Amino acid sequence: MNAESQLIMLWENGAISIRSILANRGRSFLTALGVIIGVASVITLTALGQGARISVEERLGTLGANLMIVYSGEPRGTSLVRPRTTNIRPTLTADDLAMIESFPEELVVMTAPESSLSGQLKFENRNVTATVIGTHPNYTEIRNFAPIYGSFFGESDLENRRNVVALGAETYRELFPDGRDPLGSTVRINGFPFRVVGIMEEKGSPSQDASAIIPFSTFRRSLSGEDRYAMINIQAGSPEVMYDLQEQIEQALLAARRLPSIELADFYIANQMDLIGTVTEVADTFTLLLGGIAAISLLVGGIGIMNIMLVSVTERTREIGIRMALGAKSSHLMAQFLTEAVILSAAGGGIGIAVGYGLAWGLQRFGGLLTSVTPDSVVIAFSFALVIGLFFGGYPAYRASRLNPIEALRYE
Amino acid sequence: MIVLTDIYKQYRMGPNTVTALGGVSLEVPTGAFAAIVGPSGSGKSTLMNIIGCLDTPDSGSYRLAGEEAAELSDNRRSEVRNRHIGFVFQAFNLLTRANALENVELPLIYRGVGARRRREVATQMLERVGLADRMHHLPSELSGGQRQRVAIARALVGNPSILLADEPTGALDTATGEEILSLFEKLNAEGMTVLLVTHEPELAARAETVVRLLDGGVSAIENTKERRS
Repeated sequence: MNAESQLIMLWENGAISIRSILANRGRSFLTALGVIIGVASVITLTALGQGARISVEERLGTLGANLMIVYSGEPRGTSLVRPRTTNIRPTLTADDLAMIESFPEELVVMTAPESSLSGQLKFENRNVTATVIGTHPNYTEIRNFAPIYGSFFGESDLENRRNVVALGAETYRELFPDGRDPLGSTVRINGFPFRVVGIMEEKGSPSQDASAIIPFSTFRRSLSGEDRYAMINIQAGSPEVMYDLQEQIEQALLAARRLPSIELADFYIANQMDLIGTVTEVADTFTLLLGGIAAISLLVGGIGIMNIMLVSVTERTREIGIRMALGAKSSHLMAQFLTEAVILSAAGGGIGIAVGYGLAWGLQRFGGLLTSVTPDSVVIAFSFALVIGLFFGGYPAYRASRLNPIEALRYE
Repeated sequence: MIVLTDIYKQYRMGPNTVTALGGVSLEVPTGAFAAIVGPSGSGKSTLMNIIGCLDTPDSGSYRLAGEEAAELSDNRRSEVRNRHIGFVFQAFNLLTRANALENVELPLIYRGVGARRRREVATQMLERVGLADRMHHLPSELSGGQRQRVAIARALVGNPSILLADEPTGALDTATGEEILSLFEKLNAEGMTVLLVTHEPELAARAETVVRLLDGGVSAIENTKERRS
């Protein structure tokens, strides 16, 4: 066959397929439904996964710029945030802090040590358990965690060991359920009176929202009796110096402890970039997993196509016989049924893309979930649908092309 | 010109082997009007399938339009059917979802003829069988006689060497059957080779040559009238 007649055949196959698909509208739709659901779920679920990644990245961004934290405790493989440091024995000393602060400004902009314990807060007849954090005034800036009402404590409060407290948003709500202005009120923390100076913004993190933050000097004298710090928050000069700085601090801390390697250390260092890296990795794995599950449903959709195409070939045995008698070759019939399967799956894929976009939009608009449809997922899902149409249409098409024309013509 | 020489064809039916054709030799000259008759089981269908290139003989030679057609590949047989054979079936065998014109165009699609040319030729053929006003009707909207005429137009559209009709009036009433037969006679008069397979002696009597089959062999060849020249 020359190129022109092949083009004519291609066109005719398309026309034949579309006519046959339209002749059985209901059935065609049900057949394509598997592919529609498959493609739509690949797109929607990966959009959800990517949305989760974006929102996690955003949240990590609010941890504070160029944040690096030295923790007490044994080094751990990954650097996920520890929700609590209350039960860890503090090991970081004032010398450690001074050493870190001695780095030039390009490396270390500022520091804030931090220790915490679980405390009982009492106001009038209300009792609340909260994480009591002792730290320095720099904390708000390093952790990007500011008061929304009133103020944080200042340097003089720290120097004079004043009993002042900034309440986490959650702690405030529980202690003052009537929503009254708490500034100047006295709350008791483990029995000691503290004057409320501010309410912190809501961070969405339980350890920060259910907190009560007080000067470290006060924390040490009244609550913990411990000189050492559980953590040291550091604001690095820039993202570029982060890893180098981490290495230098690590070496200096090891040297101060006369320890040969980080495996034996009683501290470990995490930085924000590690954190973002780990979490995005988790989110990507999650996306892949969701996409994989959705791809399985696409595979099931393909089996649906094969099923219906087999029925269709049987039903149209007579038609196949007629076409053969009139001169159709095996390849013509193969192409005809393959075209039909591919058109079905392509139509299903197209509708699936629209549905997927719609679902992703709906989940964000009405479900409050951040979604982000990636072009990659659309392209992959659609091509996968086409491949599935070809693959699962292949067997029925082969069956059609192998029919014996004499028997096919006699078929009732 | 069709020349069959010593055609054998056997079928396996379970444990038995049935000889459908046991050495058939037959010649149908170009422009002839021949009828193949015989009781059921005589090998009519098998012979017709072999002549129509739907089947191949186990042995023997079948020359169609100067070409040996007994040992062709599936693909080549498809091409031969497309170019040289025009089938007319008892059950019409039209595509139910396609209208008359589209049915008639069908053989030309497999020959790779472009849409406009197809439409032209198919329209001419439908006019020739007297269905100029029914071109866009579906088979279900046509009478039996009209359907068979669509089928004849479809058989003719590829300009075949031979029109092969298998009980073409079997599903029609006498008057309509007569109409169809007259159409065959008219086409034969215009030069078309017509091969009619039937079990009705009255129909066979209208042909120039009657080939009688019995038990897979030719029992008699009768020339009922002089060939027109």
